[in-house]
Amino acid sequence: MTDTTYPLYLDLAAGLFLLSAVGVLWRHQLAPMIRLVGLQGAALAAIVTLIGVHQHSLELILVALGLGVLRAGVLPYLVRRALGGTASEARETRPVVNTATSLLAAAILTLLAYAVTRPLVALAPTPATTILPAAVAVVLIGFFVLVTRRRALSQVVGFLLLDNGITATAFLAAAGVPLIVELGVSFDLLLVVLVLQVLTTRLRAAFGSSDLDELRELHD
Amino acid sequence: MNVIASALAAACILAAAGVVAAICVPRRARPALVGAATAGIGVAGLVAGVAALRGEAFAAQLPDLLPLVGLQIELDPLGGWFVMVTGGVLAVTALYGIGYAGHGHGPSGRAVQAALPVFGMALLLVPAAGSASTLLLLWELMAVTSLVLVLAEHRARPEVAQAGAWYAVLTHAGFVTILLGLVLFAAHAGGDSFAALRDAHPSPAVRGAVFVLVFAGFGSKAGLVPLHVWLPRAHAEAPSPVSAMLSAGMVNLGAYGVIRVGFDLLGGGSRWWWLLVLAAGAASALYGILQAAVAADLKRLLAYSTVENMGLIFLGLGAAGVFRTAGASALAALAMTAALLHVLNHAGFKALLFAAAGSVVRATGTRDLDALGGLRPRMPVTTVLFAVGALGASALPPGNGFVSEWLLLQSLVHTLPAGGVVTAVAMPIAVAVVALTAGLAVVTFVKALGIGFFARPRSDAAAAATESPPSMLAAMALLAAACSGLALAPTVLAPALSRAAGAASGAPAAVVDGRVSLHLAGIASTMSPLLIAAALAAAVATTAVLVRLMAARVRRRRAVPLWDCGAGPPTPRMQYTATSFAEPVQRVFDDVLAPETDVDVTPHAESAYLVARVAYQARVPDRVEHGVYAPIIAAARGLGRLGPVLANGSVHRYLAYGFLGITGLLLILAVTR
Amino acid sequence: MTTTAMPALVATTAQVVVVVAGGPLLVGVMRQVRARLEGRAGAGIAQPWRDLRKLLRRAPASPTGTGWAFRLAPLLLMATSFVLAAVVPLLTTASPLDPAADLFAVVGLLALGTVTLALAALDTGTAFGGMGASREITILALVEPTILVSVFALSARVGSTNLAEIVAATLHDPLSVASPASLLAAAALAIVVVAETGRLPVDNPATHLELTMIHEAMVLEYAGADLALIEWASSMRLTVLLGLLASLFAPWGIAGASLVALPLALLAFTAKVTVLGAGLGAAEVFIAKLRLFRVPELLAGSFVLALLAVTSSFFLV
Repeated sequence: MTDTTYPLYLDLAAGLFLLSAVGVLWRHQLAPMIRLVGLQGAALAAIVTLIGVHQHSLELILVALGLGVLRAGVLPYLVRRALGGTASEARETRPVVNTATSLLAAAILTLLAYAVTRPLVALAPTPATTILPAAVAVVLIGFFVLVTRRRALSQVVGFLLLDNGITATAFLAAAGVPLIVELGVSFDLLLVVLVLQVLTTRLRAAFGSSDLDELRELHD
Repeated sequence: MNVIASALAAACILAAAGVVAAICVPRRARPALVGAATAGIGVAGLVAGVAALRGEAFAAQLPDLLPLVGLQIELDPLGGWFVMVTGGVLAVTALYGIGYAGHGHGPSGRAVQAALPVFGMALLLVPAAGSASTLLLLWELMAVTSLVLVLAEHRARPEVAQAGAWYAVLTHAGFVTILLGLVLFAAHAGGDSFAALRDAHPSPAVRGAVFVLVFAGFGSKAGLVPLHVWLPRAHAEAPSPVSAMLSAGMVNLGAYGVIRVGFDLLGGGSRWWWLLVLAAGAASALYGILQAAVAADLKRLLAYSTVENMGLIFLGLGAAGVFRTAGASALAALAMTAALLHVLNHAGFKALLFAAAGSVVRATGTRDLDALGGLRPRMPVTTVLFAVGALGASALPPGNGFVSEWLLLQSLVHTLPAGGVVTAVAMPIAVAVVALTAGLAVVTFVKALGIGFFARPRSDAAAAATESPPSMLAAMALLAAACSGLALAPTVLAPALSRAAGAASGAPAAVVDGRVSLHLAGIASTMSPLLIAAALAAAVATTAVLVRLMAARVRRRRAVPLWDCGAGPPTPRMQYTATSFAEPVQRVFDDVLAPETDVDVTPHAESAYLVARVAYQARVPDRVEHGVYAPIIAAARGLGRLGPVLANGSVHRYLAYGFLGITGLLLILAVTR
Repeated sequence: MTTTAMPALVATTAQVVVVVAGGPLLVGVMRQVRARLEGRAGAGIAQPWRDLRKLLRRAPASPTGTGWAFRLAPLLLMATSFVLAAVVPLLTTASPLDPAADLFAVVGLLALGTVTLALAALDTGTAFGGMGASREITILALVEPTILVSVFALSARVGSTNLAEIVAATLHDPLSVASPASLLAAAALAIVVVAETGRLPVDNPATHLELTMIHEAMVLEYAGADLALIEWASSMRLTVLLGLLASLFAPWGIAGASLVALPLALLAFTAKVTVLGAGLGAAEVFIAKLRLFRVPELLAGSFVLALLAVTSSFFLV
């Protein structure tokens, strides 16, 4: 990998990272959404690997390996298991904001991310920081998914997007986080997914669906 | 003697003659004489405008005409551009109006006929005003006379009075904000002449306040969202020649005002002004064309299309301002040129479209597209002329709208050197808005032409239509020729455009040049509408020859019945209507338009499960009107209810109000002094 | 005629001839690929040509109540396809028409062709004609933002919207094709091409049920030579659009003004368009038609891709 191709590969990985988030908004079926989150985890691992190789840092490469296993393998697997075989739960039928509008919102959020990260990028314009907007955009899109999707599992997906975005931001802006912090965050993430999985199962047992708006009934 | 001076003087004399004719001449000959006078005013304006664009300057002080400040008339290339556009529109539409009114249609009352030449004169002189007070005076004259013209048919239809009320309120609210803005400006300058205002350098806060006030006022005249609500009503309800004058002539002056005050007098200003203009323009363009795409009333459709085109012009002005504050003067000049050219192009095709719509209304008595159709064999010339206008309005090559939208897109696309986060975020969105607007304009005008003129008549009125008289057709043909000329040889206008844009931005620059192709300064893109049209014509000829050669044995065309799926001949009622044509668009933009539908199912008396009849009603209300104006009107009505309480008929009470007022005032004076 | 203009003229003529002759063949290739993948024998790649020949021999029909709009539309559609075939750099970047029509004009000419057909469909005054026109024009309107924003992304780094300049710039800097801006714009434009040419999943060109038709519903009333022209023009539009996609994102082999490189350019063009067409045909086997009101979602997606292309061309420089 030479100095001219490094930015190119990094750009492509970042493009994949962002596009998989957009793809989550695009799809209605939960199964492809989960696949896209796995793809995004792989893209994240690729970004970190690229930075590691470029900086000749074995530690970063190891972290990337861990990230890849966790985010492209374990977490999607867990979420898919929570999905189970129930056909009625397999679709995000009525998002709060319809798909076309969500996609336009994603475009606006990306522009916003670009505008707000501009000063940060200008501080230290390296190939890694120039793709910072993509990471911030993924954070915003993840948040957007959390706000607008109804199914508990789509919420998990949104949460994973958010966290992928935050991790990417950390690696791109701060040139990496200490290994121990990354490990802690990853275990947190695992825990959250497990908790949400239990919650989904309970929700489905209680209401027959995992529409989070049903929780409102507990209030009455 | 100066050409401009004599032309403007001729316009004023003709206006006076027109008023005299309107009052003294008997009803039958009135429209012809007044129309001729108005057309003369238009020609005079055309001459004055062209002279100003050729570099002739003119300034005059008429201190005796107005007490205290006097009138100041001054024409530079920027004003000349607008005088030329307005003059051309006036001349042709007045000619059209003679034929329109000559057969018992349209208004021939004294007041309306007297207002017409005065309106024409005011319209011409607004861009020639040389001081704030002159501008305000002429502006008000234009507003009042246009109100009289809008109300011309108020006896025949109650909606006209309602449209007049909306127009009166909004146009005067706009006048008040312009007045406040210019007074504030003049208070910080050495006088109210434009020269004095140009030299004044008020603080940024004052400049910002002046700009916002003036922009609100001029924006309401140009029909920018959310101040557009009067426009689709007034332009639809006015007699068609007046609609054409308003839509192709008067609304442009809103753009003129913003250019004059924002660019010329205030000298550019801050970036947020122009982002505001850009956003208002983008919102108007999108909202206007969306409403036009779902409108089923032909003139309402055209009026909303005016909102759209004004939006595009303001989008261009906003872009020009943003570029100028970013220091990219070449791009700023290009965006300004695009906006100015679009003013002219829009005036051309919109006057033509309103004139053709007027002919349709005259021939069928209806503006409802759902009841029209089948006009192609019945009004062949009008159909072709409307098609020319529609081609321009839908911004497709080789129409005239395409040329100015091309320039606008070029200025927006090549923003990279201008840099900055704001342009990087705003310009892609602006391009997307222009693109979606162009796409929806195609929907709108395919609908207007295809549903309104082609196919089979959907009502008896449409089936009984006949072609318009030659004088109306001639006027429309003139407009169509102008549109075609603008479409094919826009390069002829390049020097005039450069002068006008230079006067607006303070730096003369040759932005556009070239003979056959359009070449831009600093941008490598080129385009030649003439060559495209020639290539298309050659290709049509080649295809026709090819078909002849390859299909040598082809006999004559067979006349066949329409495909009916074997179920009997399709009736005209089975056709798509304007409403059904626009239904997909309405569904896609459901969230923006918020259409209202009522389904009323009446069951049989015997059983609730047997349906006797289903009534379905769907309409797309103007959402801005409902959301913004309904609360304001409700509040005003609440205030109005105080009236009966305060004024209960007791004379003593009224006298007491006066008495308490005077004593209160005296008391305050005594306490404060 | 100067000596430098002559080769350019020859190359452009060759380009037009290739599109005119090759368009039906491309459709034949796509149908054949589809047939083979579906386990049918297929009619051979020359079948569209045989259909055209048959149709051209039949007299065109004028259904009751139609007029000049109906009769002119096939001619105008064919004419726009001719002009497009001459302007777009498929074999040569030296077309004499190139300075006359930039990418915006190309988009406008494409739309003009669609509009004439929609007006003809409305002129018939039938429910199917209106339905097809309404749907086609709606899709056209929604496609427009994607196209122009993609044009923005492509032309921003070149400083010109003229196709020859964009292609030349890509040839000069081959690595720019692999940049995210270029890839995203390519993906966005690919969706647009599918929508503009009425292929799956937006429209099904092989449908026989009127209610599901978009493009076919508009041309329902045409017969004989008129229908031949429309089919022919549609195949030319498909060829030009696929060729445009190939020229913008894989411009290798395109000749300049010299005649020597022309055979190579012809070979490269044939290979590229055949691969794209076969890929499109193969993909159609696996996808179903979208409901009409799900199409806006697809186009919104392509718009996001285009906007991301612009954004990345801004922040990755």
